[in-house]
Amino acid sequence: MLSEFQVNVNDYLIKQLPTSTAFLNRKLEVLYASDKWYKEFNLSPKNVIGENISILFKAKNPEWEQTLKQCLDGKSGKNGIVSFFDKSNKEKWFEYNNASWYDDQENVIGVIVQTKDITEKIHAEQKLKKLELLLKEKSEIAKIGSWELRIADNKVTWCDITKKIHEVPKNYMPDVDTSINFYKNGFSRNTISMAVFHAINNGTPWNEKLQMITAKGKELWVIAAGKPVYEGEKLVSIIGTFQDITAQVESEMKAKENEHLLTTLVDNLPINIYFKDLESRKVFVNKSECEYLGMPQNKLLGKNDFQLYNKEIAQISRNEDLEVMHNLEPILGMETTNIKKNGEKTTFITSKIPLKGEDGNAYGLVGFSMDITPMKQKEEELRNLINVTSLQNKKLINFAHIVSHNLRSHSANFSMLLDFFVNEENEKEKQNIIGMLVDASDNLLETLDNLNDVVAINTNINLDKKSVNLSKKIDSVQKNLIAFLQGNDAIIENKVPNDINIKVVPAYIESILMNFITNSVKYKDPNRKPIVSLKAKKLENYTLLSISDNGLGIDLNKYGDKLFGMYKTFHNHSDAKGIGLYITKNQIEAMNGYVTTQSEVGKGTTFNIYFNENN
Amino acid sequence: MKTINSICIIDDDPITVFGVKKILGKIVEWNEMSSYADGKSAIDGLTSVFINNGKTPDIIFLDINMPIMDGWQFLEEFIKLPITKKVQINVVTSSIDPVDQKKAEDFALMTHHIITFRNKPLRIEEMKEVTKAA
Repeated sequence: MLSEFQVNVNDYLIKQLPTSTAFLNRKLEVLYASDKWYKEFNLSPKNVIGENISILFKAKNPEWEQTLKQCLDGKSGKNGIVSFFDKSNKEKWFEYNNASWYDDQENVIGVIVQTKDITEKIHAEQKLKKLELLLKEKSEIAKIGSWELRIADNKVTWCDITKKIHEVPKNYMPDVDTSINFYKNGFSRNTISMAVFHAINNGTPWNEKLQMITAKGKELWVIAAGKPVYEGEKLVSIIGTFQDITAQVESEMKAKENEHLLTTLVDNLPINIYFKDLESRKVFVNKSECEYLGMPQNKLLGKNDFQLYNKEIAQISRNEDLEVMHNLEPILGMETTNIKKNGEKTTFITSKIPLKGEDGNAYGLVGFSMDITPMKQKEEELRNLINVTSLQNKKLINFAHIVSHNLRSHSANFSMLLDFFVNEENEKEKQNIIGMLVDASDNLLETLDNLNDVVAINTNINLDKKSVNLSKKIDSVQKNLIAFLQGNDAIIENKVPNDINIKVVPAYIESILMNFITNSVKYKDPNRKPIVSLKAKKLENYTLLSISDNGLGIDLNKYGDKLFGMYKTFHNHSDAKGIGLYITKNQIEAMNGYVTTQSEVGKGTTFNIYFNENN
Repeated sequence: MKTINSICIIDDDPITVFGVKKILGKIVEWNEMSSYADGKSAIDGLTSVFINNGKTPDIIFLDINMPIMDGWQFLEEFIKLPITKKVQINVVTSSIDPVDQKKAEDFALMTHHIITFRNKPLRIEEMKEVTKAA
C-alpha cells in the first residue's frame, strides 16, 4: 500500500502532467488524474475520484474496455480512437494510449490512461471529405472538367468530366498534342496553342471561349482556362478547367438573332415607336421617330416632350402619359396632333401602352404613332370637294326650282288670261285683259333676263380677274348712284384704305357694290338718315370687305337661309324684287369668295364679303 | 247663285288675284272679299279680324312663293289660331314640285282645316268644286 506521503506526492506530480492522464486502480476506479484530463473531459475531481472509468461514457465501448483489461494483465501499448458524448451532449473524439501501471515489485496495480482530444481533427477530416464530394458533384452538374499538365514528364491528366466532354472513354490517355488537336482547326487551335506557349514561357494564365470537336465529331463551344503552378521559382504544372458552354452560346446566339430581328423590324416599321420612363423621357426611339424629329437617336434619348414640341401640345401628351401609367390602361388608336418647335403640324393615330413592373406599377410606357397627315389632308380636300359639290348641287336644285316655278307661273297667267279673253264678250273687259297680257309678257321677259344673268355667272368658268383698287371702285359706283343716293338722302362712308387692291372680275365688283349699297339704302329705317359704311382689311388668302348700314335689319333666325335665295324679299317694299342679292352671291362665289351676314332688326345689317386672293 | 260669306286671296301676283276674283264672280256671290300681297300682312290682317270680331274667311286661296312671309310660314301661324270653324284652304301654286304637294299634305294632317293643293291656273270646274264644299 502507498503511504500517505507518497500519495500526496503522486497526487501533486500527476496533477501537473502536461498530457491528459488518468491513473486507474485494478477495479478501474480513478485514483489520480492530471488537471488537463479533467479539463478535457469537463469533469471535477469530486465527482470522479473513486468512480469507475466507464461513467465517462454513455455507451459501452467494448474495444476500449478490452484494452483496459489487457493492461491489467500486463499487456500495454494498445492505441485507439473512441468517441463519447460530453455533458453538453456534443460528440467528442479522443485518441487513447493505455499502459499498465506497475509498483516497484513489478506488480500491475492499475492502468495509466493517456488521451488526446482529436475532435477538431476528426471534424476537419469530415469537412474535407464533404468538400471533395461537393466539388465532384458541382463539376458534374456544371459540366466543368479539370486537367493538369505536369511539366517534369509532360504528362497530361483529364478528370472524368473533361473526358466526358471530349466524348472519350474513361481510360483514355491524353497528351499535349492530342489535347490541342481537339480544338477546331483555325482560330480556336491557334489561340489555345499560343495560350499554352505563353503560360509555359511567360507564366500568363488564360481564359478563352473556343470551339472544339469531340471524338465523336460533335462541335462544341467551351471555356478553356489554364494557370501555371510554381513551386518556388520552378514551373511544375499547368492546371486548368474546361467547361462546355454550347447550350449557353447557342441560346445567346439565338437571343442575339431575335434581338436583331426585332430591331430590324422596329426600325423599319413606318410607325414612330418610343419607350418613355416615368418622367416621360424617351428611353428608346426607332428610326421613324428619329427621322420625324430630325435628330439622331443619341440626342433624342433622355428628352421629354417639352423639349421637342410646343408647350401646349407637350402638356397634353404628358397628361396622356400620366393617365396611362397611373390607370395602367392603354390609349389605343387615338387621333392626336403634334406641333414641333418649328411649328410643323402632324396628325397621328397614337397608341400608348403602360409597361408594368413586377410590383404591379408602371415603370414607363411604349408608344406607337402613325403619321396620317397626308390622309388627313386628302380627307380635308375630299370634304371641301364634297362641300363644293353639295353647294353646287343645292344651287342647281334651287335654280331648277326657280326656273320651273317662275316660267310656270308666267305660263299659268298666260293660259288663264287667254281663257278669259276667249270667253269675254265685254269689249272693255277684253282691253283690260290685253293690258294684263302685256304685263305678263314683260314680266316673263324680265324673268328670262335675270335667269340668263345667273346662268352667265355660273357658266363663266374661266373668269378674267384683274387687280382693282377697291376704294376707287367704291367712289366710281357712288358717282353712278348719285341720283338715287341723293334722292334717299343717303351717306356713303368709304373707309377702305387706298392701298387695298383686289383680284376680281371688274363687271362683278361693280354689280356687287351696286347691289349691296342700293339694298342698304332701300331698306333704310324711315326714322334715320341712311348711312352705309364700307371697310376692308387683308386676311390670310382673303380680302374682307364689310358693308354696314343702319337700316331696318333682318331677323336672320327666320330668314337667314332665304336671304340670298332668288325671288325672296323680306320687306314689304315695292322695289324688292328679290333678285339682286341672289345674283350678287352668285358673282362672289363665282370668284371663289363667300359672304356672311350679321343683322339686328331695328339696328342694321353688315354684309362681310370675302374676296379670294389666290384664285 | 250661292252666297259665300267670306273669301280671302293671298297672292303677290295681281294677275292671279284678278283671275281668281273673275272666275269666282261667275259662279258665286260673296259678302266679304279680302286680298293680301304677302303672308305677313295676311296673317296680321286675319288675326286682327278674328280677335276683334271672331270672324274668319270660309275659303282661303293661298300662294306659296311670296315675299316677307311665304305661304308655308303663313300656314304655320294660321293653324295656331284658336279657330273652331273648318276653313277651306287652297294652296294655289304654279309649282309642280312633288315636295310642295307633300308639304301641303303634311300640313293637312296637323290641323282640322281642310287643306287642298291646287296648281295654277285655276279652272272654272275646280272653282265650282271649291265653292260647292264651302
